[in-house]
Amino acid sequence: MSSDWTRRRMLLDAGCGFGWLALSSLLRGEARLPEARAKRVIQLFAVGGMSHVDTFDFKPELQKRDGTHHAMPTFFGQGGNLWACPWDFERRGDSGQWVSSLLPNLAKQADKLTVIRSMVSKSANHMPAVAQMNTGFILTGFPSMGAWVSYGLGAQSQDLPAFVVLPDPTGHPWGGPVQWTNGFLPAAVQGTAFRTSSDGEPVPDLAAPTAQDPAVRAGAMAWLQRMNQAYATARPGDSTLEARLRSYEVAARMQLSVPEIADLNRETAATRRLYGCEEEGESTFAESCLLARRLAERGVRFVQVYHGGAGRSWDAHGDLVRNHEEMAADFDRPAAALVQDLDERGMLDDTLVMGVTEFGRTPVSQGSGERAGRDHHPSCFTCWLAGGGLKAGLGYGSSDELGYEPAEKPVSIYDLHATILHLLGLDHEKLTFYHNGIQRRLTDVHGHVLEGLLA
Amino acid sequence: MRDRTQTLGLIALGLLLVSADSGRAAESPALEGSAILETRCLTCHGPSTRMGGLDLSTFDSAAQGGSRGPAFMAGSPSQSLLLARVLADEMPPESPLSNSEKEALRAWIAGGPAWPGAISEKRATPDWWSLQPLRESAAPADSAIPPAWADSPIDRWIFSGLSAKGLAPAPVADRRTLIRRLTFDLLGLPPTPEEIAAFQSDRETGAYERLVDRLLASPRYGERWGRHWLDLVRYSESEGFERDWLREHVWPYRDYVIRAFNEDRSYLQFAREQMAGDLIEPVTHDGVVATTLLTLGPLDAVGLTSALERERLSIREDHLEEMVGVVGQTFLGLTVHCARCHDHKFDPIPQSDYYRFKAAFQAVWPPTKPNTTGDLDIFIPHGLPLRTPAERHDREAKVARIAGRLDTIQAELGELYRTFRPFRPLAGLSVPYARWTFDIDGRADHAPLHLQVHGDAVIKDGRLRMRQPRHQPEPSPGEEHMLPESVAVSRLLDRQIEAKTIEAWIHVRESPEGSATLMEIYGQSGYRGASVDGIRYVHGSVPRWENYSVGSFRSQDTGAQPECLEPGDRLHIVIRYAADGSISLFRNGQPYGESYTPDAGTPAGKLQTYPASDALVRFPVTKDFELEEARLYDRPLSDKQIAASFRAGVVNARRAELFAEMSEGWRHRVRALERERDRLRTDLDALPEPPLVHSAWTAPSRPTHLLERGDVERVGPQVSPSGIGAVKGLSPDLGLPPDAPDSQKRRALAEWVANASNPLFSRVMANRIWQHHFGNGLVANPSDFGYNGGLPSHPELLDWLALQLERDDWSVKRLHRRILLSRTYRQSSRYDSAAAAVDSGNRLLWRYPRRRVTAEAVRDSMLAISGDLNTAMYGPSVRTFEITKAGSLLRYNPVVDNSPTFNRRTVYRMNVISGGDPMLESLDCPLPAVRTPKRSVTTTSLQALSLMNNEFVQHRSVSFASRLERETAGRDARVERAFLLALGRRPSADEVASSRALVDTHGLRALCWGLLNTSEFLYVE
Repeated sequence: MSSDWTRRRMLLDAGCGFGWLALSSLLRGEARLPEARAKRVIQLFAVGGMSHVDTFDFKPELQKRDGTHHAMPTFFGQGGNLWACPWDFERRGDSGQWVSSLLPNLAKQADKLTVIRSMVSKSANHMPAVAQMNTGFILTGFPSMGAWVSYGLGAQSQDLPAFVVLPDPTGHPWGGPVQWTNGFLPAAVQGTAFRTSSDGEPVPDLAAPTAQDPAVRAGAMAWLQRMNQAYATARPGDSTLEARLRSYEVAARMQLSVPEIADLNRETAATRRLYGCEEEGESTFAESCLLARRLAERGVRFVQVYHGGAGRSWDAHGDLVRNHEEMAADFDRPAAALVQDLDERGMLDDTLVMGVTEFGRTPVSQGSGERAGRDHHPSCFTCWLAGGGLKAGLGYGSSDELGYEPAEKPVSIYDLHATILHLLGLDHEKLTFYHNGIQRRLTDVHGHVLEGLLA
Repeated sequence: MRDRTQTLGLIALGLLLVSADSGRAAESPALEGSAILETRCLTCHGPSTRMGGLDLSTFDSAAQGGSRGPAFMAGSPSQSLLLARVLADEMPPESPLSNSEKEALRAWIAGGPAWPGAISEKRATPDWWSLQPLRESAAPADSAIPPAWADSPIDRWIFSGLSAKGLAPAPVADRRTLIRRLTFDLLGLPPTPEEIAAFQSDRETGAYERLVDRLLASPRYGERWGRHWLDLVRYSESEGFERDWLREHVWPYRDYVIRAFNEDRSYLQFAREQMAGDLIEPVTHDGVVATTLLTLGPLDAVGLTSALERERLSIREDHLEEMVGVVGQTFLGLTVHCARCHDHKFDPIPQSDYYRFKAAFQAVWPPTKPNTTGDLDIFIPHGLPLRTPAERHDREAKVARIAGRLDTIQAELGELYRTFRPFRPLAGLSVPYARWTFDIDGRADHAPLHLQVHGDAVIKDGRLRMRQPRHQPEPSPGEEHMLPESVAVSRLLDRQIEAKTIEAWIHVRESPEGSATLMEIYGQSGYRGASVDGIRYVHGSVPRWENYSVGSFRSQDTGAQPECLEPGDRLHIVIRYAADGSISLFRNGQPYGESYTPDAGTPAGKLQTYPASDALVRFPVTKDFELEEARLYDRPLSDKQIAASFRAGVVNARRAELFAEMSEGWRHRVRALERERDRLRTDLDALPEPPLVHSAWTAPSRPTHLLERGDVERVGPQVSPSGIGAVKGLSPDLGLPPDAPDSQKRRALAEWVANASNPLFSRVMANRIWQHHFGNGLVANPSDFGYNGGLPSHPELLDWLALQLERDDWSVKRLHRRILLSRTYRQSSRYDSAAAAVDSGNRLLWRYPRRRVTAEAVRDSMLAISGDLNTAMYGPSVRTFEITKAGSLLRYNPVVDNSPTFNRRTVYRMNVISGGDPMLESLDCPLPAVRTPKRSVTTTSLQALSLMNNEFVQHRSVSFASRLERETAGRDARVERAFLLALGRRPSADEVASSRALVDTHGLRALCWGLLNTSEFLYVE
């Protein structure tokens, strides 16, 4: 192993700043495909379980058999009768994709979406299911996809992290920061969670103490860099010491660039209106979507935007109608605006937008009457994609007549991950990292690229 | 955390081995097929595995084929069995080849397949180095070794390793460097200027040895080396997964580890205790605490309440895999857990070995208790009373004595009262199995199910209720469940109950603010104690009464009108559990909504059995409700009987009323009995309550079966416990049958793992000690001694170290001493470009490696330098976060303060999985849930931001400056002292000038901040 080991170790030693770009391009050599269709990902995560049969997966048979009994094991074991979707479905756009009236704005973008209606997850439980969507595994401690992508592609920006997370201000998803962890990958590729609430700085420890005179900091910084330079110069052969010097330079640049990027007032009124940022109060998801676009523009590889968390989510066990109407009202416009805005700016060609959730919801009701909801349903659900390298306006896979299981082309999370990596120009079987005895992959030992989705 | 931008520094190790197979294929298309075989087939069809008799490693062996005939016919793909199986996606079984691979394979066979000689298996065979017994070898003794390098066998091996490559070691480091190196290495702190001066001026012989001994004897040593151990065993103080609730009782384990290192406990004992200290005689408190190791893994408590049995079983198997993983990797450096679904892909560990190994831990769980306080009816983290078996028996005997006498008194009181208040069944009303009237105390009528009250529950004036609120601090959000529960608990049932009726007269004291279970029958030995049925008020969007059951398996909204409770309301609630599994609720004698039958497809959906001598009745108490009377019937009552019972009302009476009816003699007798009862209760309360610890809880024994492909629904044969067959030097057979009790299995396995004849046991630990002294182990992957872990750089030296560990009675400190006294350790960090060209990774140790100190050492050193370090040891963990609650989720928000408690050493910080500290994480402090044998070391701009701006660093700069002002007079002296404290040396002339200028312009604090940010402060040479 030694020559390989040495070569990589030297690259890693080269460490910081500009070295990382060179490093990453060499590291990914083994995993790189000849062609990359997309350069970056913006993932919108509807936390709690968005119902597939009420949004994208129209089931006439379910409408017909509304109220009839159908035995179906469920997470809480309280399965009721089949329950027709309470919203109207329509064919949308030239592609004729089915989208329900819950998502009127996304419906207008239907021709740009690639909708997978045969997703399957391994867990009926929120935290492991969210974890599987993020990391491929239902257990804790594995790197999330954003970390893998950053590891494989590196950063495009000199002064921004490669992987940024915008949590819902009402609460983290179940599992919290574990959902964007680097796991065993180098800490450098961990998701940086920006604070999305209005107070406080967007990144921890970004700002120098306010009480401090900037001149004091500048003076001390000059002294420090001189000390560190002298220390490094006297110690040849150790590039991490050089890397430390540069890390302070980059940090100083971040202190300037991050507040500028996070300032949405720099967008036009029209753009802000498109996303729904002008509305009073409510939709910080709109602001997150707009911020996601700004981050993507500046070279962030992977932006993950959470809609919902443990405090407020799509988890409609009781009162599906009220829950999904409220959540959809908040989600729909910014999500659609993001797709439209990226398209108008020409960014959709090399950006992947992912609309995901951790599982769907049961075709049968949980509870009855006004309090009726739907239970967790990992065995079939819907995710949608848009952007670089995809067949737009395509419906991929389908569920059975009730939306219970995939009828054709079942898609595992591994397949989805393999496909996203493929579009980014990475071979999911070769993007690996040795940890505790195993050459680890995002897709474990599974996953097939969904060729049928590719343009 | 995280670079954000791009800086990636030293990533530990050669962890980045990416298999190079594809490279060869590209070089020679004619060999592409064999490259596919090598990567995708040889694991099972190699010369050592030969599954189905097939070996694909050479042309001849493949042509000869396996049990189904030749693998291929050259030039004729259509007649090649190999291709047929591959095209049908039957092979490789789990991950079929891609179309392009299939095509390549077809073309390769069509063109007459070629092998590049014999291709190699990418796996370890049974003769793999680490599985062989320790070998004693003489250290090299050639005359080229200079005298200074000839004393220690360590030096002789290192020197000859270097000279074999034409390299020479570095000269001895100066004393300042040595004391700084040793102090950080052993204590995780910088030496004080006084300690440095003393060592520099100690010209007596043996100064260095004395320094080593002084440091090894310091209590700070256990805090430093204990932390290395805690990394390894994924020390976490929260349960992870969906809720990530705190585990409050884990910290005694951290103290145990620190003490064990400080006391230099035998490593053999240390290891055995952590696997089975609760079973190995003589059992001690330490032994019990040590088993916490097994319970530290994350637990998906929410998933365990799924109605889907498959999901529950899988979650438990995942949990056990994690436990096997930590035992296998920590003590043996073997990835045993990788053989759960199939034979190990790289090491000679068959799948059956995984299950045999797992059998020893089959019964182990983290301690939990059912949640009766919140809205979540699932298990919550808890602790077990810290007792040895002897203490437990002693206590049980005392309790039994007192409780027996209490029962007699209660029965006698019951007789007395019944004389005045006979239970006269009305027509159509039947006698309950047990009845609690709460008139005088927790006495039960008809059956000996007398109650004991706990927490703030009281029985007074004919009511069971909460004591008047006492002044106690409000629990923080998310910690409500940590309070002692207020509950009345009955003795065990004396007959089995299945179909049943429970009945309660409820008095509303305050309008409820939360859900509450008022009465429940509770089976202790069910699925994790999950058999519970009871009366629950659900304070949801629709307030209502429900049957309570863990996981809501038998709970349902009956669709009745929403409940609206006002203070003073009095209600009669009955739940009937019929033999057909249907459940009906009644309110004030009338049916309450619809009867329902839970999903009987799962065990938890069926009518529950509550066995005698196991189940009991509990009355959890809240401030909102009081109970006037409760009854349990061992049969379903009819609607009519329930209505009649409601009309008949309670028989409960107040003590004063009864006394008014009694003669003086009766009253005297009652008072005497009550006095004795109260005295006995005081005795009972006075029994000492031991502290709680998160030690291993063992469930009743269950057999272990092999699971085909790891699938919980493909149950294979029962297996008996054993060690790992491939390990040479001791038999894996533990001599136990499959149905041996769990206690025997686990003890026997602990003694097999931690065993002088187990070569992995001492090798792995010797390597870990070396690793922490030099930054890299002799085996670079310290928790994987299998194929993927690679080969040791100095195999004979490793075995020598392992043998010394064993012969020194497993003393870790003595092994430290041998290493630290070596000339190898005392080398300087001088750079040698010629040596770097040959060995850039310094595996041969041509110098002492410069190392960034760990996150904890950075923080602790800043505290020490600023004079703020609080060296108080042990005890409950320090919380460096505030908890906020969002729905069912807790959020841990990092906080910084400047209190002495906060300024304790970092090892005492509470390690919460989702509660990381941004500064520590930026310095590569690992996620607590992940086993971390070796930390990565990164240099990132977020790290720079933390060190520049974090509030903690600001506090330290301020304290550091005031310390200088306090201890030293004058600018120049302060500059010098600042360098001595932070860097352990005086400033150079140039540094004096620039530092004076900085202090004059921007103040002393600016210099202090700068010093805490220097590379020299963060690195040790």
